[in-house]
Amino acid sequence: MLSYILRRAAGMVVSVLLVVTITFILMQLIPGDPASVLLGPNATPEQIEALKRTWGLDRPILVQFYKYFANFFRGNLGESIFFRQPVLEIIGQRAETSVFLGIMALIVVVGLGIPAGVIAAVRPNSWVDNSLLLLALAGASIPSFWLGLMLMVLFAGKLHLLPSSGYTSVIATGNIANLKNLILPAFALGFVNAALVARTARSSMLDVLRADYITTARAKGLRDSVVILKHALRNAAIPITTVVSFTFASLVSGAVVTENVFALPGVGSLIVQSVLKRDYPTIQGIMLVVAVLYVIINFITDLTYAFLDPRIRYR
Amino acid sequence: MSFARLILRRKALLFAVGVLFSLVVISIFSPYFVPYDPDALKVLDRLKPPSAAHFFGTDHFGRDIFSRVLVGTRVTFILGLSISAFALVFGVPLGVLGGYYDRLGMVIMRVVDAIMAFPAIILALALMAIMGKPGMVNVIIAVGMVWAPRMVRVVYSSTLSLRENTYVEAARALGASSGRILIRHIAVNLLSPVIVQSTFTFAFSIMEVAALNFLGVGIPPYVPSWGGMMNEGRTYIIRAPWIIIFPGVFLALSVLSFNLLGDALRDRLDPRLRNIV
Repeated sequence: MLSYILRRAAGMVVSVLLVVTITFILMQLIPGDPASVLLGPNATPEQIEALKRTWGLDRPILVQFYKYFANFFRGNLGESIFFRQPVLEIIGQRAETSVFLGIMALIVVVGLGIPAGVIAAVRPNSWVDNSLLLLALAGASIPSFWLGLMLMVLFAGKLHLLPSSGYTSVIATGNIANLKNLILPAFALGFVNAALVARTARSSMLDVLRADYITTARAKGLRDSVVILKHALRNAAIPITTVVSFTFASLVSGAVVTENVFALPGVGSLIVQSVLKRDYPTIQGIMLVVAVLYVIINFITDLTYAFLDPRIRYR
Repeated sequence: MSFARLILRRKALLFAVGVLFSLVVISIFSPYFVPYDPDALKVLDRLKPPSAAHFFGTDHFGRDIFSRVLVGTRVTFILGLSISAFALVFGVPLGVLGGYYDRLGMVIMRVVDAIMAFPAIILALALMAIMGKPGMVNVIIAVGMVWAPRMVRVVYSSTLSLRENTYVEAARALGASSGRILIRHIAVNLLSPVIVQSTFTFAFSIMEVAALNFLGVGIPPYVPSWGGMMNEGRTYIIRAPWIIIFPGVFLALSVLSFNLLGDALRDRLDPRLRNIV
């Protein structure tokens, strides 16, 4: 197990290094003098000089690259042009909304997707299965931002059941009722991914339910619920875990637009704002944070496989 | 597969082909038969609900939503096609070479994996910011850069399994050059996975283009696009939801049809692709 973890960890480090390199190269592609572009048209020559010195932009490119790496590993992602604040600090301030939104969306994904897939697999080709299939297909084709807008029209505009936009920190105010503002966005965001998880859960459950040990378990006279939940679902878990972990990237992507739709002060709306304001250090910082998180989550997923299926450790 | 499921599949495929055919016709001919000039402002007719005069209602400038949605189809299809072509042009050669030459493959796949660590929309947004201004070409490059690595991955996996075939070994034994093997024996057999992946690329890329336009960083707002229309309609979402409903329905129908078509093609051309694509 230890050698497996070490191998995976080495792979993770390589990926992080590559991600950092890619963001460095991307920022080199900005046309013109990076420092003045980074600082915007209102920058004074002193500011430009200062930035050039901090980032070592007056040095050869390899030195710049080294400096960039060193800054990254010190947790220094630069300063936002628009907010005049360290990028990491701004991301930190915006993280709460995005993290809560992500968790609630994940609850929707798992809570809707897995039961739907299991039910469909237990009764294959029934009307339940066929309607779930159609719903899953529709779910995979509806843009999450459009679904969000439609939910907003229905639940906030017509029925007045839920708030339509905005969010105030639960941590700062201690008011857990604020999470109500995240219900509609979380549903809009989660539904699309739930469809994907349902399809995978269905097909991997169908495979497992055909196995001999399931017949044996039934022959022993075990109850249906025990056979399905204990014997089948546990063995069908690996493909399902893969898809759930894949949803991270898709949830982040979806969150960028969904946060915008519901005017939520999260990291997703921060990057859109930064793109519109050409706040390059912030864009770069968010890219780094998100991609590194993605790499780490992949690493954790790999370890989860090994835990779920001991055979994987020995490959 | 049970009979009921087969019929359901068939019907779904027919539906998809029907929708796509209509959309292609609309995208080619819409400028000649739309009832109103899609850009004509009629302030007296602003925010009118759907009616016989305006099938899909009007927006806050009194522009006809029906005409704008139809004309927006053209932009959507041009972008979808160009992005798929971009992904093909970069994805296929890199994938084939990477799959055939082990060392090169390792390097290419490492980079591809690293690029794929950036969630699609974040990478597209960053590229739009780097390129500076909104526009069709920039959108094609930004979204194409997101989808090319996925094409590389599919082509790479297919090449890996293709090169193990006996006929490749036979060709090599006969003294065929690598170039000949790559083109005559491998690239030709990549057609199925590439067609299937292109269908999905089209579906996802038009969704992403709509998201960029919705966020106001895609193509300029004066070009009628589904995402752009939804963006403009947000302020009036409670008073005039039709501004948003109809472009969204067209977008969802297009994506759904391409997904159905992709599924059907995959099952027909090569069911083994399920594990790759």
